Amino acid sequence: MKNLISTVAIVLLLASCSNDDNFELIPFDNPEVSLNIPSGFPELNSAVYTNTPTQYGVELGEKLFFDKRLSTDNTISCSTCHIQKNAFSDHNKKAIGIENRIGLRNVPPIQNMAFMQFYNWDGSKLKLEDQPLVPIITHEEMDSSILEVIGKIEDDDDYIELFYKAFGDEDITPDRIYNSIAQYEYTLISSNSKYDKVKREEGETFTEEEAQGYTVFQEKCISCHSTELFTDQSFRNIGFPLNTDTNEAGRARVTGISEDYMSFRVPSLRNIEYTAPYGSFGQFATLKDLLDYLSNGVLEADNLDPFLKENDNRIPLTEEEKSYLISFMKTLSDEEFIGQ
Amino acid sequence: MKNSKKYLLVSLIALGVMSCSNDDIPVANNITLEFNNTFEDNTIVLGDATSSEATVNTSDAGQVHHFSELKYVISNIRLIKEDGTEIPYNVNDLDKGATVVDQSKEATLQYVLSDIPSDEYVQVKFGLGVKTELNTLDEVSFPNFYAAAGENDTEMMWEWGTGYRFTKIEGFYDTDNKELSIHTGSTIDEDPDDATGESFVQGVDAYRDITLNLPTNAIVGSSAPKITIKADFDYLLSGRSNTITLTSGTSGTDNATPNIHTAVEMVKFVDNIGGNGDTDITGMFSITAVEN
Repeated sequence: MKNLISTVAIVLLLASCSNDDNFELIPFDNPEVSLNIPSGFPELNSAVYTNTPTQYGVELGEKLFFDKRLSTDNTISCSTCHIQKNAFSDHNKKAIGIENRIGLRNVPPIQNMAFMQFYNWDGSKLKLEDQPLVPIITHEEMDSSILEVIGKIEDDDDYIELFYKAFGDEDITPDRIYNSIAQYEYTLISSNSKYDKVKREEGETFTEEEAQGYTVFQEKCISCHSTELFTDQSFRNIGFPLNTDTNEAGRARVTGISEDYMSFRVPSLRNIEYTAPYGSFGQFATLKDLLDYLSNGVLEADNLDPFLKENDNRIPLTEEEKSYLISFMKTLSDEEFIGQ
Repeated sequence: MKNSKKYLLVSLIALGVMSCSNDDIPVANNITLEFNNTFEDNTIVLGDATSSEATVNTSDAGQVHHFSELKYVISNIRLIKEDGTEIPYNVNDLDKGATVVDQSKEATLQYVLSDIPSDEYVQVKFGLGVKTELNTLDEVSFPNFYAAAGENDTEMMWEWGTGYRFTKIEGFYDTDNKELSIHTGSTIDEDPDDATGESFVQGVDAYRDITLNLPTNAIVGSSAPKITIKADFDYLLSGRSNTITLTSGTSGTDNATPNIHTAVEMVKFVDNIGGNGDTDITGMFSITAVEN
C-alpha cells in the first residue's frame, strides 16, 4: 500500500513537470540482495541493517565504483586502486592518486567489509557509508568534491535510471552515492578459498606443508589474526619500520590516545597472496620479507604489543616454519573472489 | 507553477519591505565582529621564513616564532541580553552563521551579523571550530562555507577526519626558522548502535565554545555596534593549559611540523587557544572594544 501511494505521488510529481521530463516510468522491483553470510564469520556491522543492499543499489554502487568521473580530472575511479585481481587492493607501496600524487598509506583490500567494525588502517571510520567521500575529496586521491561529482553524472540517463530504480526517485544526493557504493562493497565477500573448502569439508584437504603451516599459525599468529576474518580487528603497534611522513601517527591520529601511537588495525590475511606489498605503507615486498623481519626482531616502542614485548620483540620462526606459514596463507586465496 | 511561486515571493518581499517601513528609526540591525589577531598587543604581520616585516613572538619556553599563514573558523555565534536570553545567530547554518578568519584577507577580519533584534547585549559566545553535529563536510547544505573553507588557497578541509580544519597555522620557529605547521580539527566519531547495542565513541572533539563578557553593552537598534575581539596567538605556545616547546621530527611527541600530529599533541594547542571548555572558556580571545 505504501509503495502504491509513493508511486502515485511520484507519478503526480513527474506529471506536474512533464514538459521537461521525458523519462518513462516503468514499474520495477528492487529486491534486497541476500548476503551470503559464511558460517563462523563475525557479526555484521550494524550499518548493514540500515543500508541493506538491494539489486539496483548494488548495481548503482558498482557503476560508481568504476566511474572515473569521481576524480577531478576524470582519470581514476575507486577501481583504479581497488583492483579485483588484487582482492581490490593494488601493488603499490603507497596509494597513487591523480597526477601520480602519492598518498600516505598502502591501499587496503576491499573484502568482507560488512563484517568489519572499523575501516582504514587507523579505524577512522566506523561506518562504510562514511568512507566514499574521503577519497573523493582527498588531495592525494581524487581531489574532487561531491557536488563536482554530482554535476558530472546528473544528466547521464543511465544514472538517472539507476537512482530511480535504487531509491524510488531520480534525486542524485550525496547520501545515495555513499550508500550505494557501500552496498556494492558489502556484497564483496570472500569465503571460497581452499581453507574454507577444507573447513567446510567439501572434499579438499591441506597438503602436508599447508597443514604444518596451519599448526604454526595457530601457535604463533592466531592471537591477533583470529576469527574467520583472520583479524581480531584490534589496533596494535608491532614495531614495523616507521612511516616517516609527519602525517602518520597510526591510530593515535584519530583517538588522541598516546598508547595508540603507530598502532594499526590487524589486517585480514584472506587473499594475502594477491595484496603485496605488505604493511601500512608497503614496507615489505614479500611475505617472506615480512616473516624474516618479525623473526629477526622488531622496533622497540613503549606501546609495543605485549605479545612481542614478552618474546624479546620478536616472533621466532625457523626457515621451515616460514615456508610452511606461507603455504598455509596461500590457502586463504579465493580465486573465485578475484575473478579468476 | 513556477510563475505563481515568483508572485508569491514578490508579494512576500513586498510585505517584508512594508512591514519594515513602519519602523521609526531606520538603522541596520547589525553587529560587526572585528578580529584582531595579535601576539600580545601587536597585530600579527605574516611573512615567509626570512621576512623582516613579520611579527616575531617569543614563547614562554623561549622559542622565537612567526607565522606565514593564519586561519581559523568561527561559528555558532550567540549574543546574550542583559536578562540572560541568548540570541543565536544562524547557529545551524554554516553558510549564514560561520566564517573563516584569514589574516591574509582583510575582508575576513570583519564579520557582520545582520538582523539582530534591537536590544542591549552584555556577552558574546561563539565557537572556535565547528560543532560536531555540523562538522560533516556537507557541501550540498552549506556550499558557501564549504567553498570558503575548502578553496585551494585555504585547504582547510581535513579529509581524513571528514570534517573541517578548525585552525590552520603555518610559520617558522627558532632562530634557524624550522617549519611550523599546526592544524586542528575534530576526529570524533560515534557509532550510536554498534554490534553490542552500545554506543561507541572514538576520537577527540577540537571544537571549543568561547564566552566573552562585553566591557560595555552593545546597543543594537539605535546604533550598529562594532565589537573588537582580540585573538592573542601568544597563547598558542604559552597558554593557560600548556606551555609548549616545539620540536621537529617524526616521533609521537614531535609537535611542530605538519600536519595533524597525533591528536594527543593537537589537543594541547586547542586547549591553549580555545580554552579547555571547563575552567577556561575564553582561550586566547578577549574583547578590547565595543563601539556603539
